Amino acid sequence: MDKNTFIKMYGEYLRDESRQVGNAESIVFPKSEYEIISSVKEMSRKNIQITTQGARTGLAASAVPYGGHIINLSKMNKVIGARYDESGDRFFITVQPGVLLSELRKYTANKSFNTDGWDEKSINALKHMEKNQWFYSTDPTETSASMGGMASCNASGAKSYRYGSAREHINGLRVVLADGDVLDIKRGRHIAGEDGKFHLVTEGGRRIEGKLPNYKMPDVKKNTSGYYNKPKMDMIDLFIGSDGTLGIISEIEIELNKTQKSNWGITIFMPDEDKAVDLVRAIREEITIDNINLKLNPSAIEFFSHNALCMLKEQQKTNAAFSNIQEIKDSYHTAVYVETESDSDDEVWAEVEKLGDVINGLGGNEDETWVAYNPSNLEKLHYFRHACPECVNMQIDNIKKTDSRITKLGTDMSVPDNKLKDVMKMYNEGIEENNLTAVIFGHIGNNHLHVNIIPQNISEYEKGKELFLTWSEKIAAMGGAVSAEHGVGKLKAPFLKKMYGEEEINEMRKLKKIFDPAQIFNRGTIFEFEEGEK
Amino acid sequence: MRIIVCIKQVPGTNEVKIDPATNTIIRENVPAIINPFDTYAIEEAVRIKERTEAEVYGLSMGIPAASEMLREAISLGIDKGILMTDRKFAGADTLATSYALSKGIEKIGEFDLIICGKQATDGDTAQVGPSLAGALGIAYATDISKIIKVLHDKMYCLKITDDGYEEIEIRLPALITVVKEINMPRLPSIKSMRTAKNSKIEILTSADINADENRLGLKGSPTQVRKTFVPVHEVNNEMIEGTFEEKAGRLSEILLKLRMEVK
Repeated sequence: MDKNTFIKMYGEYLRDESRQVGNAESIVFPKSEYEIISSVKEMSRKNIQITTQGARTGLAASAVPYGGHIINLSKMNKVIGARYDESGDRFFITVQPGVLLSELRKYTANKSFNTDGWDEKSINALKHMEKNQWFYSTDPTETSASMGGMASCNASGAKSYRYGSAREHINGLRVVLADGDVLDIKRGRHIAGEDGKFHLVTEGGRRIEGKLPNYKMPDVKKNTSGYYNKPKMDMIDLFIGSDGTLGIISEIEIELNKTQKSNWGITIFMPDEDKAVDLVRAIREEITIDNINLKLNPSAIEFFSHNALCMLKEQQKTNAAFSNIQEIKDSYHTAVYVETESDSDDEVWAEVEKLGDVINGLGGNEDETWVAYNPSNLEKLHYFRHACPECVNMQIDNIKKTDSRITKLGTDMSVPDNKLKDVMKMYNEGIEENNLTAVIFGHIGNNHLHVNIIPQNISEYEKGKELFLTWSEKIAAMGGAVSAEHGVGKLKAPFLKKMYGEEEINEMRKLKKIFDPAQIFNRGTIFEFEEGEK
Repeated sequence: MRIIVCIKQVPGTNEVKIDPATNTIIRENVPAIINPFDTYAIEEAVRIKERTEAEVYGLSMGIPAASEMLREAISLGIDKGILMTDRKFAGADTLATSYALSKGIEKIGEFDLIICGKQATDGDTAQVGPSLAGALGIAYATDISKIIKVLHDKMYCLKITDDGYEEIEIRLPALITVVKEINMPRLPSIKSMRTAKNSKIEILTSADINADENRLGLKGSPTQVRKTFVPVHEVNNEMIEGTFEEKAGRLSEILLKLRMEVK
């Protein structure tokens, strides 16, 4: 197929939510692991690079092909089994990588799965689902994300403050390797040694041996900056968050959590940013206000900068798509969103009253809050939260029309708890010194904010990119991570180089080659592909 | 100015299940919420209050647990919750409900405006609003999508109709029912929830409202449900595909046919 025909027919598969556009020569949509294997074997034989795609909602361009072949997993979208562990009252389901988060949520909420082709054990396991309500805790605000994509970038999202990232809920993986052989890995079965040495055996009986790199990961709650690496680590963790560079995930076993009866969300508007950050620290129980012993036990703590609220307010007036968000009053300056769960509304309310006192004590006003304690109102607050990135994307799309080189400029960096104020200062100063327009929002609970620069022209875009590189270095110096949840992908490979040195990046490359010697998978992702390498 | 908002407790909208044997709504284990259309009525009343310093009462007929729902309405800005609860009210159809509500409102005394949601999401009849106005002998207008101006003896509103909007003038006291286009209901704040938790809900029984017992509850309900069904709306969509010429040709064909039908 010539290039123009390919673009005409499959143009949408050359880009993802990062707004990067790549190129490719061929694409397949396998419906089974067997079809993945056939395609991989063929490409391996011809030494053609492969880019793996899920729902293409990623923000770091992992799914954007830089030439070669695309394996798109959107048609592998079935839930294929369930398992109940009686001893721990734990419930697991096995999904294909193309299942969307929105679909999974629907199935689990209704406890309704298409069980065609399931074995008897799986069907019986479903009965154990009845007495409780279950949910999948990984909650990137984009619900059209695919399960394979979420595993590949170790997604986390809002609820990670309490539930951690995707990694913590993935119990098994099947991974198709470059030679078409398959690794079937269950958590707890393949542990690396104290010295970093590991070995795995493929289904075909091939023994894969190696040694983990020496670099140390940053001590932060959220990190997807390069390969997971720790002495005595579970080898499944290497594949989670590896951005599709080691193989193709063909099956995932995930663990569901029990839903608690009371799920509350509260958006709080504070009179300035400092007070908003202090409120976050009070909710995290780092500081105490007026001797109030706040025990909110949040599952999410989110942030919206003043500019982010202004942007939403503006969109609310002019864009019908955002007319459904709550009215943002002029007195609202900076917002903090907190979500909490418990088995009793009364318990939550007791803490919410204390939260009101803390807000007042910090110079805020407990009347400038939105409280949601039922699913439909909670959905309104979720909608408000997701409106932020959506608004940014729309603005970038508009600017892109004036200059196609401009793409989304959003950070995904996290720092340790004690650096929250420093990092806020760094962001604000950098934006101001460079005279840029930016909105900041995201997971402040984990010191993980998304700074989105809205460049008005190519020179501001370049300035923004430069600023991100400077920030990467400073974040690394603070002991932080340059990628906390979106994965490094292709866009953040230069930041990773700033965070780790050349030597550490080479260690990662060496690790990749153990599984993918010809480097056919997702070239240019996490680190650059070196020409001439085999 | 005094505004009364009629509020009904209904099963959570996403979870309505019908018992196939009895054709009635299964209410066990389904969380109750404020009828979604009533939330627009509450919001509109509170908005008028903020402009004119009116006082807003919320009135409901229901089981004792509905007092929690009235507390929720207080957290959304109404000043006072009144619950009509009595076994004698149980099993009421729209006629008996309107009668009981009208007696409750007579007991409250003076009022200028009654606002109801367009309909309840469980029964879907849209009859109680107009029927209540009839019982009270006041003017009413249904499907209001905008309140333009409220004066002391009359108000101006937009009413949504099948063909567009009608601007109407209505003299007070009056009853209106509102549609969801009218506003975006606010969420409560921590402060308003505190106020609500500390509020007392006034209880009215059948004796309190001097009602004729024969017109209350099941006894006063002539309605019998034989069958329930979803009305069919026939809207046919056609995607026109092809070249520009083909599409334009097909489109003009359809338009010409429509013109013939109109003639």
